[in-house]
Amino acid sequence: MIFGYSINLLVMQAILGLSLGAIYVLMASGLSIIYSLLDIVNFAHGAFYMLGAYGIYFFLNYIGNFYIALLLSIVIVTIIGMITEIYLLKPLYSRGDPLHPLLLTFGLSLVFPDIIKIFFGLIGKNVNFPDQMIGAIYWKSLVIPKYQLFIILISIASISFVAILLKKTNIGMILRASTRDSLMVKLLGINVSRMWTLGFMVGTAFAALAGGMMAPLVSAIPDMGVSIILPCFVVVVVGGLGSLEGAIISGIIIGETVSFVSLFAGAYSDVVIFVIMAIVLIIRPRGLLGQIGRKG
Amino acid sequence: MFKVKLNFFDEYKIILIVLVFLSCLPFFMSTSLATEILIFGLFTSGFNILLGYTGILSFGHAAYFGLGAYTAGFVLKNCFGSVWLALFGSLVVSAIMGIILGFLCIKRKGVYFAMLSAAFANMFYFLALSPFKDITGGEDGLKEIPILMLQFPFRLSLSKPLNVYYFVFVLFVISIFVIWKIIHSPFGKVLKGIRENEERMKACGYNIKNIKIVSLVLSALFSGLAGGLYTIYLDYVPLRTFQWLTSGRVVAMALLGGTDTFIGPLVGAGIFLFIENTVSIVTARWEIFVGALIVLVILFSPGGVTGIFKKKN
Repeated sequence: MIFGYSINLLVMQAILGLSLGAIYVLMASGLSIIYSLLDIVNFAHGAFYMLGAYGIYFFLNYIGNFYIALLLSIVIVTIIGMITEIYLLKPLYSRGDPLHPLLLTFGLSLVFPDIIKIFFGLIGKNVNFPDQMIGAIYWKSLVIPKYQLFIILISIASISFVAILLKKTNIGMILRASTRDSLMVKLLGINVSRMWTLGFMVGTAFAALAGGMMAPLVSAIPDMGVSIILPCFVVVVVGGLGSLEGAIISGIIIGETVSFVSLFAGAYSDVVIFVIMAIVLIIRPRGLLGQIGRKG
Repeated sequence: MFKVKLNFFDEYKIILIVLVFLSCLPFFMSTSLATEILIFGLFTSGFNILLGYTGILSFGHAAYFGLGAYTAGFVLKNCFGSVWLALFGSLVVSAIMGIILGFLCIKRKGVYFAMLSAAFANMFYFLALSPFKDITGGEDGLKEIPILMLQFPFRLSLSKPLNVYYFVFVLFVISIFVIWKIIHSPFGKVLKGIRENEERMKACGYNIKNIKIVSLVLSALFSGLAGGLYTIYLDYVPLRTFQWLTSGRVVAMALLGGTDTFIGPLVGAGIFLFIENTVSIVTARWEIFVGALIVLVILFSPGGVTGIFKKKN
């Protein structure tokens, strides 16, 4: 017994926190990838998350298999992201003002939920858990909910996949090089603009994956994007803007904090993350793993 | 960003025309919409000190607006319903918050500051939602504000919409005049200098951080005042004053009108609220129009409505 709570309960809460943290990590690394490549803070990231959740609801009705529906939902949202980048964001790059894309994505973050409201109505849609993921694994005296474990494992897998893609492959090398000096990469005869589109697609794919996996837990609601985007900003600021490793660490820290504070003092669970942000800003203004000298 | 080409006298005249137009606005449209246009015009003009003149995008001005509104409501409820005391309270509290947030995050630039301010404003939303429920009324908002009477300089009942409109109008004109004076003072020139070339201003020996904080505090002051007036107009403080959409709306208004002119934010607030009001009569899905409007303005006319006129000159 610790603080009057049994160890089982605390472990359970830690796993819930880890799964929430995994969602934050996915969202924040999507934001980070987009930011470091395109210099855009994607305010529509929450909207893509919401679209991911509705995508899985939509395809689940037709197909019935959760995993295929999740995959299809990611594909569709990624295509929407690609169209957004090519037709709306690309014309803004030459202006050189990072606030214009930010404001444009903010406009989109108002448009997408309303389109969803027109087609699916105001009320949230329930998404069923996949059959294999109902219940929990019992190990000794611990109870580990299966679906939360699924979220954690899928997040680890997809983040490692993208990390390996970035660190070990040619495309990853080009992507990393264009975050450093896109003009030089262009001079080497590589189509950088296509790389930017690819980066934006990876970011939206992460958002859609996070939204799709959250759908059974919170059900798909038109305004779910707004409630995730601000915690994600906090995660990104705490981790250091543009740093993938920073996003992972701070995502886990904040997920766990929210989880435990909601156990001990429920009313403050939404406020505590902003307190963490304020503390980090005072002690280490560039974020945990942010680099000195990067813009911002 | 953009060059200000309008002649001093030109803009002076335009503002006078707009003020005369505003003074008889309640005869063209519903008084409540007219009052809202004044309040949000003031809010957007205050916001534009930061965005248009200093070049800092804040996505958290709902914090100052909401604090102003809640402070006014709190004072009206607990301190004999004195309107002036309430507005003074809004000014003080929002300015203090501007100083605190300024010291915390003004050093962060561009998109970083936008994210930080958005996050901090949302903190206030959650604080008002549950931990401070007893004071703020939580989701229901701050209710049971007593019937308002203006005692000084003369007795005026603030329960009639038209009285409220002209009360707001007087404060609006004074504030606009003050903002005009600030913008056209040497200090205003320093702000524009920071917008155009921060490094160079630093080299000229200006303390960039302090000037930015002063700019933020001024902006917060007028936003707080607008919030206080909003309470007087509504007789109630809704929780949505703290919402992230409130921050977004003020950004959209400034953008729509054009951030590089003095008159732009006022025009933007007027057009925005008029469109929002008209569309919301037809359909409940007005946000899609607002969002689409922002996207179109950014894509085709980043100088806003007033920017279109300037190109023709």
